[in-house]
Amino acid sequence: MNSFQYVTAHTLDEAASLLGKNGRYLAGGIDLLGEMKDYIVSPDVLVNVKEMSPQSEFKAIRLTNKDACLIGASVTVAEIAAHDDVKRVLPGLAEAAGEVGSPQIRNVASLAGNLLQHSRCWYYRQPDIACLKRGGSTCYAQEGENKYSALFSGCACISPVVSNLSVILAALGATVQLRRKGDLHELTIPELYQEAWRNPSAHHSLQPGDLVLHVTIPLKRTRSAYRQQSEKAEFDWAMVSCAAAGNVAAGKVTDVRIALGAIAPVPHMVEEAHHFLEGKPLNDATASQAADLLLKGAKPLAQNGYKVPLAHTLIRRTLLALNA
Amino acid sequence: MSSKPSSSQPVVNRRTFLKGIGTSAVAVASVQVGAMAEEINKAAGPGPQGPGAVPITLSINGEKMNFQLEPRVTLLDALRNHAPLTGTKEVCDRATCGACSVLIDGKLTYSCMKLAIEAQGHEITTIEGLAKNGELSPVQQAFVECDALMCGFCTPGLVMAATSLLASNPKPTVADIKRGCSGNLCRCGTYPHVIKAVLKASGAAVPETSVMIQ
Amino acid sequence: MAGWPNPSTVLGKAATRVDGPAKVTGQAKYAYDVQPAGWLYGMILRSKWPAAKVTKIDLTKAQSMPGVKAAILAGGDQRTVRYYGQELAAVAATTKQQCLDAIRAIEVTAEPLPFVVKEDDAIKPDSPRVFDKTPNLSDPKLEENGKVDAAMAQAAAVCEAELRTQIQLHHPLETHGNTISVQGDHVTAWASTQGVFSVRDGLAGNLGVPQSNVQVICDYMGGGFGAKFGPGAHGGIAAQLSKAAGAPVKLMLNRLEQGLAVGNRPSSIQKLKFAADKDGKLLAADIENYGSPGVGGGGQTAGGGGGSNIAMPYIYGFPNSRTKQFGVALNTGAASAFRAPGHPPASFSTESMMDELAVKLGIDPVEFRLKNDGNEIRRREFQEGAKRFGWAEKYKKPGSSPGPIKTGVGCAGGGWGGGGGGTKAEVQINPDGTVEVRCGTQDLGTGSRTVVAIVAAEAFGLHPNDIKVKIGDTNLPPSGGSGGSSTTASISPAIWDTCQKALAALQQQTGVTDARGANWEGACRKLGINPLTANGEWQKGLSSSGAGGVNFAEVEVDTETGFVRLKKIVAVHDCGLIVNPLATTSQVNGGVVSGIGYALYEERVMDRQTGLLLNINFDSYKIPNIADMPDIEVVLIDLPERGVIGIGEPAVIPVAGAIANAVANAIGVRVHSLPITPAKVLAALGKVPNVSRV
Repeated sequence: MNSFQYVTAHTLDEAASLLGKNGRYLAGGIDLLGEMKDYIVSPDVLVNVKEMSPQSEFKAIRLTNKDACLIGASVTVAEIAAHDDVKRVLPGLAEAAGEVGSPQIRNVASLAGNLLQHSRCWYYRQPDIACLKRGGSTCYAQEGENKYSALFSGCACISPVVSNLSVILAALGATVQLRRKGDLHELTIPELYQEAWRNPSAHHSLQPGDLVLHVTIPLKRTRSAYRQQSEKAEFDWAMVSCAAAGNVAAGKVTDVRIALGAIAPVPHMVEEAHHFLEGKPLNDATASQAADLLLKGAKPLAQNGYKVPLAHTLIRRTLLALNA
Repeated sequence: MSSKPSSSQPVVNRRTFLKGIGTSAVAVASVQVGAMAEEINKAAGPGPQGPGAVPITLSINGEKMNFQLEPRVTLLDALRNHAPLTGTKEVCDRATCGACSVLIDGKLTYSCMKLAIEAQGHEITTIEGLAKNGELSPVQQAFVECDALMCGFCTPGLVMAATSLLASNPKPTVADIKRGCSGNLCRCGTYPHVIKAVLKASGAAVPETSVMIQ
Repeated sequence: MAGWPNPSTVLGKAATRVDGPAKVTGQAKYAYDVQPAGWLYGMILRSKWPAAKVTKIDLTKAQSMPGVKAAILAGGDQRTVRYYGQELAAVAATTKQQCLDAIRAIEVTAEPLPFVVKEDDAIKPDSPRVFDKTPNLSDPKLEENGKVDAAMAQAAAVCEAELRTQIQLHHPLETHGNTISVQGDHVTAWASTQGVFSVRDGLAGNLGVPQSNVQVICDYMGGGFGAKFGPGAHGGIAAQLSKAAGAPVKLMLNRLEQGLAVGNRPSSIQKLKFAADKDGKLLAADIENYGSPGVGGGGQTAGGGGGSNIAMPYIYGFPNSRTKQFGVALNTGAASAFRAPGHPPASFSTESMMDELAVKLGIDPVEFRLKNDGNEIRRREFQEGAKRFGWAEKYKKPGSSPGPIKTGVGCAGGGWGGGGGGTKAEVQINPDGTVEVRCGTQDLGTGSRTVVAIVAAEAFGLHPNDIKVKIGDTNLPPSGGSGGSSTTASISPAIWDTCQKALAALQQQTGVTDARGANWEGACRKLGINPLTANGEWQKGLSSSGAGGVNFAEVEVDTETGFVRLKKIVAVHDCGLIVNPLATTSQVNGGVVSGIGYALYEERVMDRQTGLLLNINFDSYKIPNIADMPDIEVVLIDLPERGVIGIGEPAVIPVAGAIANAVANAIGVRVHSLPITPAKVLAALGKVPNVSRV
């Protein structure tokens, strides 16, 4: 790593002012410190945001009286996975959190950090390659080793979002509350990643200095599920992940949302699939048709075509899990 | 953490200072952040530290150790090269393999992705801290008895992982053990015997999976 | 075999490792841990280009940076680079951070050259050349027995396929490296090595100092798997840094460097045609192999050079065979020996073809092997394994298991040498009864330190924990490098001989007729003040060579995701007289785990466009995790009459073939290349629209 100053912030104002022009917030550090060790980023100050006040904003998981679950930005993935309320009312979120990394990573990874983590495309992470996302002129994945690349993208970068939590939070209709230039700002999950869809340099839509406060998850979708498939049984990036949330009553689903991870720079959702499923029973046939709608327009490259049948399977299994 | 002023220090701390100037003045104040940091450093709690070496105190295995380290020094580096406590190993330096695992406030953590400076104020337990009075811990004893080690380089990390697992789950199933140790890689292939060792340390029956015949 | 006692007290009985406590407490010191006074960090600057002409390396900035005590070139100022990661320069500084900063301040001027990093590209005649004067494709090495074409024409069943295996990286957890202290013409090196004497030899040559002034120590080392012989370029560089800085230098590679410049298992492209008669007797094999050992291969080697040789045809009796072995050069780091070089790819491809033939002939795959395996011990292993595995109940026609989750079974075999020789040892018996055995061998995690303790304990009627063992030091009596699965067969006879001689001398000197066991302390007390020492060496008659084994694998394949879940592996192995069944079981487990990685997850990925390595750490170079483990049942066949034989390499050979066959049996179609990933399984099942051949 290059040298930097280190400081702990306790309030939002402090955090913002200490960041300066070339600072970064430090939460769990798994992603940021790794990038710094490879000289992909070199901030001149790290602002530790794990001690922010009030704790009830940043470190709490609580059910509000507005039928929502509020989870602070600094809450760890392990805490989310183990939380009784989360397991009860947002089972898909608990499942997704449980699949993140390893026990050691879950112990320190923060909710916000997981959402905002940078690309894991191996061209991006290779210290000696300046790919398109790193400011170079070429996306090498297009013609190269694209086994893990996206099936959909709005720009020339085909690096997919790898945050497990982004996928389930998209399906649950969560919003992200953040502070931008002194004001409170709110983004839906699609808005959080929209910039990555159209701008090859972007990993998400946040601007420098933005600081996530918490994520608010409405509880209206009482069923939720998350499934992923990796090459190894544990501690491995998903080849494809899928999350679904909705309500099931009298054998029919309503208000369902399905999102796919690791196949686009954003959690991939298709309105048509939601409309198609509304009011229908969830079975192999309907789930399969929904999958077709979700995967319509997918552009497989030389090596990632397997993601299409894999996604199809995960969509079916995740949707059927809502029946349970 | 360590930023609360003690009674012997002046009343002005970072919070009261900023509150006093009001948020509208933050922009102005931020230009002077360097000078302000110095003021506050003198007053109470650390302002921006580094980039050069700064005093860092770590509580390791119950003992306070003082270092002079740059902020960019990881806890792993501080342990191995500055303490020096070489039981914790450097293998990947990117949070992929677990050989650097320590406990921080009892939580299993990759020390390679923790800055030494941010580990201040927390209880750090390393492999050297497990055996008490020269006696191997039950997990350590079980690893030896079940031959859950070969070259031994992954062993400290796996012992930490197993210790952490049993602390929160004293009667783990094989599936629990696999999951609890899933953050630790071994290249020699000790996994089958690691599973046995953790079962043994938990007091469970250990299946026999090897037979020698004539 | 005469020589080993039967019955024995501790020999052949399960014993925990004498160094277990040191390892579980973090007290064991590896080369990575050693910290001589005043030690410095060393780091290497490596080429960012896969091929280039370097015209200038400027060290001036680096030399003046804080904490830098030495900055040197690795080789001349100008040279040709032939692979990403080739050594260019190095620095030594007081802290890791200072080293990192200094390395980045070295300025290199170079002209990039055309390069090739993919085997299929390199084979083409118009490919960029790795070496100007020679083509990337070597001439073939040709071996022919009998009349292949005639036999093929008469065959009842012929199977033809192209099978491929990947570049596998050793990735020992302790990276390559050394801590080296050069003081004048004296050198002390703490090496992570499989051969302390090989390091001594290399360093003495590199520095031009007498070998008697060079001591290499390796008390503990964190895995080698074949790649850690000699000081390596990095060892020579560390020595030069130490000399320049006047201080000890610790130069350990980082994980990225491990994937670039310290060896790998060559990849293979194997075009195979096997034939058998209607009764299931093999008739012929026609084999065309392309092995790729990186810059170690190519035109100047006559096929099979640089480790590109795949050991074909493998283990079964082919009355007619023709093998054309090519070597292919690439602009990638050279291959090095990796646990049973040439055998895992040979076992994988041969066993895949055997199952194809068995299915074609309608013969049970195990029966088919028994008909064609001339090795009596391995035939027994196939039968024993089949029985314990439940083969007869589990084997079903390929793809016949119902539902989307399909089960399947497969088997494979392997064979290796594993003999030993040449070791010398010394023992000191003290008047208080304590014993120290000294031998310049290595313990890679194989348990050889404990083997020494067991053999000595057997000789003296003591317990292994009573024996103090000193190994891993060139100041001790010499032993060979720990490779070829030769260590146990080398050291056991030597320690036995040494201790027998010591025992005889003790008894003679003290007048005690039998000094062993309960009489030990009393006898030793009679020594007076001075300890007794004795020397000995390897003797014939206590060891031999030729070990083998088989694997049976059961898998569950999710045909909707392509995911392969290993359910069970039964591994049956022999290695003569088994000195310590507990450690030998660990060796077999370890071989199975390594083979699982080879079969399902591992592959070094180079980028065609940039020539650089893409999977630079363990999140993308995937080695097996504890969660990937099936039930592994180990069956050891103890054959004491054969003497001691090694097992390190046989344990890894038959794993991938068994798994590959189990997958093919499950899904009814074969994946022809390793690793067998979910993507390939889906493609083989015809579910991936734009992929036809897998």
